[in-house]
Amino acid sequence: MSAISELSSLKITRARTPEERRMRAKEAGRDNKAGYLFLAPWLVGLLVITVGPMLASLYLSFTDYSLIQAPRWAGLDNYARMLEDPRLHQSLKVTFVYVFVSVPLQLLLALAIAVLLDRGMRGLSLYRSIFYLPSMLGGSVAIAVLWRQIFGTEGLVNQILRLFGVNASTGWISDPQYALGTIILLHVWTFGSPMVIFLAGLRQIPGMYYEAAAVDGASRWTRFTRITLPLLSPIIFFNLVLQIIGAFQSFTQAFVVSNGSGGPSDSTLFYTLYLYQRGFGQFQMGYAAAMAWLLVVIVGVLTAINFFASRYWVFYDD
Amino acid sequence: MGVNRRQFLIGGLGAMAATAGLAGLSGCGGSSSSGSATSGDLAFTWWGNDVRNKETTEAIAAYGKANPGVKISPQPGEWASYWDKLATQTAANNAPDVIQMDMAYISEYGNRGALLDLSKYGADTSKFAAGTVDSGKIDGTLYGINAGINTPTILVNPKLFAKAGIDVPDDKTWTWNDYKQIAGELTGKLGNGIVGTASPFNDATLSAWLRQQGKELFVDKGLGFTATDVVGWFQLMLDFQNAKAMPSASAITEEASQSLDQGSLVTGKAAMAYFWSNQVEAVNQAAGTEMKLLRYPSLAGKAAERKAWYKASMLWSASSRSKSPEAAVALINWWVNSTDCANICLAERGIPANTEVLGTVKPKLSKAQQSVATFIDEIKPELADTPIAPPPGGGTLGDVMSRAMSDLLFGRSNVNDAAKKFVDELTSNLSAS
Repeated sequence: MSAISELSSLKITRARTPEERRMRAKEAGRDNKAGYLFLAPWLVGLLVITVGPMLASLYLSFTDYSLIQAPRWAGLDNYARMLEDPRLHQSLKVTFVYVFVSVPLQLLLALAIAVLLDRGMRGLSLYRSIFYLPSMLGGSVAIAVLWRQIFGTEGLVNQILRLFGVNASTGWISDPQYALGTIILLHVWTFGSPMVIFLAGLRQIPGMYYEAAAVDGASRWTRFTRITLPLLSPIIFFNLVLQIIGAFQSFTQAFVVSNGSGGPSDSTLFYTLYLYQRGFGQFQMGYAAAMAWLLVVIVGVLTAINFFASRYWVFYDD
Repeated sequence: MGVNRRQFLIGGLGAMAATAGLAGLSGCGGSSSSGSATSGDLAFTWWGNDVRNKETTEAIAAYGKANPGVKISPQPGEWASYWDKLATQTAANNAPDVIQMDMAYISEYGNRGALLDLSKYGADTSKFAAGTVDSGKIDGTLYGINAGINTPTILVNPKLFAKAGIDVPDDKTWTWNDYKQIAGELTGKLGNGIVGTASPFNDATLSAWLRQQGKELFVDKGLGFTATDVVGWFQLMLDFQNAKAMPSASAITEEASQSLDQGSLVTGKAAMAYFWSNQVEAVNQAAGTEMKLLRYPSLAGKAAERKAWYKASMLWSASSRSKSPEAAVALINWWVNSTDCANICLAERGIPANTEVLGTVKPKLSKAQQSVATFIDEIKPELADTPIAPPPGGGTLGDVMSRAMSDLLFGRSNVNDAAKKFVDELTSNLSAS
């Protein structure tokens, strides 16, 4: 309903007698009820699966909760302890490095592949599927296990290096110098989902812009920077925000590659992995809940900064 | 363009909400009803391997046949996920009635009131060998019954020793330095990337080493050692590394997360390794070689002073909220005291603590298990006090130590800093729990 028709219906309502008005209100009430009924499946899910556990975890973050015994109120103790927890600081460092290195790399790769694929070539859907494949697999336990084999001291990578005469005896996931880099590589490799979104975005850019630019003699690079990038910027922004949030929550790869320890020497101690160790390994669910809320704040602040910054570079067409 | 600001914001909020939900999880599991010793519904959980799962299922069926009033619902699990599941089940107030417990967690659960005082419900340990009952006691309360005896050993691959032309050391007189020296020589003579020993540095050997100096890992609710005490331990490890007695830092890190059959002793990449005695059979089978059991070394070179101990390889506990505590304890009694059960499970969970049961099943044991039973019997004169169960938070010792050790092995720390970090972190884990 457009704004004008809403206004006109308001006028009509005012003109009616009180009785008629009551009738209309009753009808509207029934409409509302039906609306909530249709919303119910989603609403119940939201309350039970999202809001409920969130509130519970907010409460638990102010308690000392061992899972086995009932929670005991502890005020701000958990938050105070976080200030003096060297492993927490290490896990923040690891996670920030991971997010700020792997997300830009992954997006660049996804964009590059998407631009390459966006040429209406034959067999596009096949290529698209092949490039998407790592994303389907990358988050899985099987691939993380495979990576453990490939990057081990006796793994494929070292065997190939030895073929070329490099005396490689480093374990790429068991040496604290390289372990995080290897996991970042694994993440970058799963560029499929941002790539598919980029592809969809590229497909929506009207061809006439490029034709007009070509007529005016714009080079391919100019067309990319002046047409593709601005028109794609909302999509880039979308991918950026989602990938940053997703990267902060990374868990599986680090868990499997380091066997849940975050090792060697805490070099792959992701924030969520440490949270898990505290909650389920050391029975400090209150502390783990407080950690989860710190993560919410961090991700929230970063997302807010992202949105603020987006005003200066994202171009909305609508 | 497909995306507008509002859709976007909602997507972002949803993703954030999922983060907050991370720590608000809960689990579900079996249930039970009331009954006496011979009737009731029991949920029964254990972690294990294929052999254990098969034997345990068989034994449960046998018990069900003899006690038609008891209905047992088995909940087998894997070590890696077992404790997460048990913790959430306990939090949700539906822990299984009978629980296979580990020394590392028994006080965590016992001190928090999640386990039954078994002696109040007629637990029978009258035929148990000396020193095998205490491991299940926390502050005098019997929270767990020894499910099998274990002891730390060094396993030796005699074939690799023969190949290197080195004699297997006399385990009654060898010292930690002998161990290092022999392993270093083996590495030199064997070549091909084969090393003298897999890294023997873990919580059990630290316990052995500390005990030989009159210290313990844990004393009543606290640490039994100081940073100064473990400096020597970390130095010993660096000496092993410098003597090339053990694998590279990378290889050690990798082995720590590998299963038994991928370990360097099994794959023939190391001539010696540390193992618990109940693992010998699995090692032999996986390696296809009969390993020799050695006593771990002592400081003085006298086996009689090495302060050995029997550890409960695992324990049987019951939930304090069980609705059929009598039936649960009756099942545990049958499990540890009856030859019916022992004939099925043999020594898979360790050598039976009940001496009569051991006498009956010993002839039926495999050759490897028989040699373990003999070994356990022979070291009796070398036993000292049984170490107490780790207090709450103490189960993290192994993890904390392996972090400190990899800092050292990769040259990112020195022995004094590593020792201090190790003790500080452990102390804070103990006080936080």
